[in-house]
Amino acid sequence: MSLHTFAQKVLQLVVVLLVVTFFSFCLIKLIPGDPVSKIIPFGTNLQKAQLRRDLGLDTSFISQYLTWLRDILTGDFGRYYNNNASVSSQLTKSLPVSLELMVYAQVFAMLFAIPLGILTAYRSGSKFDGATNTIAFGLLALPNFVLAIILAVYVGAKWKLLPTQSTLDPFPLSPIDNWRYMLMPTIALAVGQIAVYLRLLRSDMIATLQEDFITTAKAKGIPNRKILLKHALRPSSLTLLTVAGLNVGALIGGAVVIEVIFGLPGLGYRIYQAILAREYVALQSYVALIAIAYVLVNFAVDVLYSVLDPRIRHVRAAA
Amino acid sequence: MSLLRRRRSTEFIPAADRYPVEPLAGALLEVTDIRTHFETSRGLVRAVDGVSFSLERGKTLGIVGESGSGKSVLSRSVMGLLPKNGVVRSGSIRFEGRDTSQLAPDDQRKLWGTQMSMVFQDPMTSLNPVMKIGNQITEPLLYHLDISKSFARETAVSLLSSVGIPEPERRMKQYPHEMSGGMRQRVMIAIAIACGPKLLFADEPTTALDVTVQAQILDLLQAQQRERFMAMILVTHDLGVVAGRTDEIAVMYAGKIVEKAPTRTLFSQMRMPYTEALMHSIPKLSNPSHTRLNVIPGRPPDLVSPPKGCNFSPRCPYVQDKCRKEEPPLVRAEAAGHEYACWFPAGTPQGRAALERNVVAGAMSGVTAETVRVGTTPIGGGIKSGTTTTAPSTEGST
Amino acid sequence: MSEQRRNPANPVALPGKDEGTASERLVADSVLGGMPADSATIQEAAITAMTASGRARKRAKLGVAAWLAIFWMGLLVFCAVFASLLPLADPISSTDAAAIGKGSSADHIMGVDSIGRDLLSRVVFGIRASLEIGVGSVAIGFVVGGFLGLVGGYFKGRLGSLIAGLLDTLLAFPALILALAIVAFLGQSTLNITIALAIVATPILARISRASALSWSEREFVLAARAQGAKHFRIIWREIFPNVLPAMLSIAVLGIAVAIVAEGGLSVLGVGVKLPTPSWGNIIQGGLPDIRTAPNIVLFPSMVIFLTVLSLNYLGDVVRARFDVRESGL
Repeated sequence: MSLHTFAQKVLQLVVVLLVVTFFSFCLIKLIPGDPVSKIIPFGTNLQKAQLRRDLGLDTSFISQYLTWLRDILTGDFGRYYNNNASVSSQLTKSLPVSLELMVYAQVFAMLFAIPLGILTAYRSGSKFDGATNTIAFGLLALPNFVLAIILAVYVGAKWKLLPTQSTLDPFPLSPIDNWRYMLMPTIALAVGQIAVYLRLLRSDMIATLQEDFITTAKAKGIPNRKILLKHALRPSSLTLLTVAGLNVGALIGGAVVIEVIFGLPGLGYRIYQAILAREYVALQSYVALIAIAYVLVNFAVDVLYSVLDPRIRHVRAAA
Repeated sequence: MSLLRRRRSTEFIPAADRYPVEPLAGALLEVTDIRTHFETSRGLVRAVDGVSFSLERGKTLGIVGESGSGKSVLSRSVMGLLPKNGVVRSGSIRFEGRDTSQLAPDDQRKLWGTQMSMVFQDPMTSLNPVMKIGNQITEPLLYHLDISKSFARETAVSLLSSVGIPEPERRMKQYPHEMSGGMRQRVMIAIAIACGPKLLFADEPTTALDVTVQAQILDLLQAQQRERFMAMILVTHDLGVVAGRTDEIAVMYAGKIVEKAPTRTLFSQMRMPYTEALMHSIPKLSNPSHTRLNVIPGRPPDLVSPPKGCNFSPRCPYVQDKCRKEEPPLVRAEAAGHEYACWFPAGTPQGRAALERNVVAGAMSGVTAETVRVGTTPIGGGIKSGTTTTAPSTEGST
Repeated sequence: MSEQRRNPANPVALPGKDEGTASERLVADSVLGGMPADSATIQEAAITAMTASGRARKRAKLGVAAWLAIFWMGLLVFCAVFASLLPLADPISSTDAAAIGKGSSADHIMGVDSIGRDLLSRVVFGIRASLEIGVGSVAIGFVVGGFLGLVGGYFKGRLGSLIAGLLDTLLAFPALILALAIVAFLGQSTLNITIALAIVATPILARISRASALSWSEREFVLAARAQGAKHFRIIWREIFPNVLPAMLSIAVLGIAVAIVAEGGLSVLGVGVKLPTPSWGNIIQGGLPDIRTAPNIVLFPSMVIFLTVLSLNYLGDVVRARFDVRESGL
């Protein structure tokens, strides 16, 4: 990627970030009626006036946004109004948990999807391929919260194989305990992804395996295993990478339901609590943060994409 | 160390030591009655249907035919590159006296690259787009030969320069899309000859290239072949390509060899009307401009249900009733090594008589005695479409 | 993904699992069992096989699985419309305390919920809310997104890039969080959930229609229409829209499934459809506290969601296969 196109992309990124944060900021305006009386319905007049000043409701809309944005950028994400805890202190505890879960889920999904995708493409049309695809199609239709509930009830509560409802604070315990708490949420999140990744990789791989350069590799006398991994996998993994990249962003916050069901104190769980407690300021900060993270991850994927496929690098440089 | 130096001094590694070498006597490749049929929803496609030939070390065999004649499938069958599923194969392929058609996949793979290799038709798609040129050349070297990475690199650089690529060091780091079609085909050739195969298949190596570089690539193939004493099977649809570059030519039609002869003999005494028609279809520089291009009327037969009798009969200007009923066997001609399959061979009294009859009978309204010159040196004229009454005149429909 | 052609000989075959005809398989076949037979002969055979039966196949009858999916969706719609005419207990007020915790019985096929209301009745009445949200949000997204996409794809000037930028930004929001935030801030009601999910669906559908409109507006027949002096709106409506429709439909069908699941997720988080109105999501949510003693409360609606999503996914694939929508173009 040339410097010029990179600069263009960065510029785009900044614009998107501004708009995304602006939308997040506008969320609080969605609250019907007076936000202050919604946030602290039982507050004293003094507290209400303080909050009104905090939210900048006495200034113009744009300057409210700019103040809010400056606060966000300097790490001031507001505070909870019930107990005066700062959002950032919650964040430093919960974000690692969510990131950990996201990474585990992605790694877990890839660990299954990549070998299965390669194998089903290699043996496309076989019984193994058919069975794998049928199962994948079924898993696609299984909402992850249903799987999570089933896991939590049977594996967790009934058979007591793995713990749920970690209300432990701080969360990351010893590595073993950590894993025991993470395993079920990881599976619940990953299963659907396995199906998606598997299908993507399989269809791209089938297309790649029909390419002439695979025949060339074969005619070189290279064994099939090497051809699959060295020649076919990389050109087939671009769609997979894009979708996985999008999921990284989506999963940072998208695991809300899973975190709530398993009682995992991650970002999603905090969001859930904020909704229940009507902590709109905290909620707004969380949403903005997740949106920012999502945009940044997508940007990184975009850059990585052109590293993986020199043709794209070439086309983009030419364009 | 001395070994290394010795290898470095030779630009190229003889790779015979990994394979039991038979005495040099005997043909390098002997193919007997091979058949390759594909199972399709329409029925069995007889892509190769009983082909035999042999090839000496260091010699070149040209396989010529229209698209759909089975020539590409033949070369892939011989090399063993076709899929296992849905393919019915029979016949024997003896490479250095060993039957390779019955080899297990792993044993067959040991032959590829080191004993036989292939240059493919389209260099634009035959190179891995996401792998550097250098790695694509060193890959078979590192896999088949027990050499170090740095030595493989050096070998690859010298291979690139030997196939006429300037600045080979720089090219090593490039990706295929940074090169022209001709350059890529040179790279393909470098890959194919990297491990010093004894037999090189060139499957329409110039069809996808610019006319201006076609001759260069063919010359390069020929030069490499001589230098390395490889045998080569050159597959093409263009008789002009094989004319000066092969020792022997086999003409294929509908999955069968219909004429085979040493190159000179073929051009001076062609017997099969199909060969003659192929010959006519080459545009001549000596023709006045705007001369109508000669085409072979009709189209290649359906390989699922080929016509009765001689496969070429529906398109043949010499066709007689016998041709439509009985399939002509491959018979020997007077000249050594010359075989053909025709009841009324061109350039013989029977052939002349057959053609005469057709013209007189007026069954072929588009053909006049003047346009179909009987003989071996055609001068202009045209076999226009509509010469046959049975074949559909839908050229270029594929 | 263009290999989604279905095999009529095997009606139960899933669209994703394509067996193809022998010749297609040969060409498509896993190379490493040999190599792609790309010779002219085979290609020709494959082409003739595909053009001969391929066109017929597109018009071929729907398979058993597709009919099952259609039947299931038809059943849901029927039940949703005529729920009050069906012989069911009232989903909100009628309770049978004796049946609590007893599981399935003759009186209550699915059992009763935690306060003794007939679960089957609640699930059947729950179709209304779930379908309303699923179909409603996608319909809004379809109209708004489709319009934005068509206009953005057809007018390539400033308007086009403005719309493209807007869509990119909307897509930059993580979907579920966006929906969750909107419902949390707006207040939970069926309408607000529908609006929230519509906001999520709009940019997705708009992107599909824009990408498709972009390529179609380059075609000769559009140029021809323009050359004849047709108005822009007419060209978009008469020439481009019909061609963009299949791609949008296949995604919209999948979108309904996603929206139904999303409603379930929102309910589990406590911001789904407000009680006592039943929706599949809030029935599951209501069953969570008693799941160990009465798992049926959670499992039955979960199963219904699963079957619905399965049907919709399948139908989406069928639409895509029939109209040969290529995902790469999206």
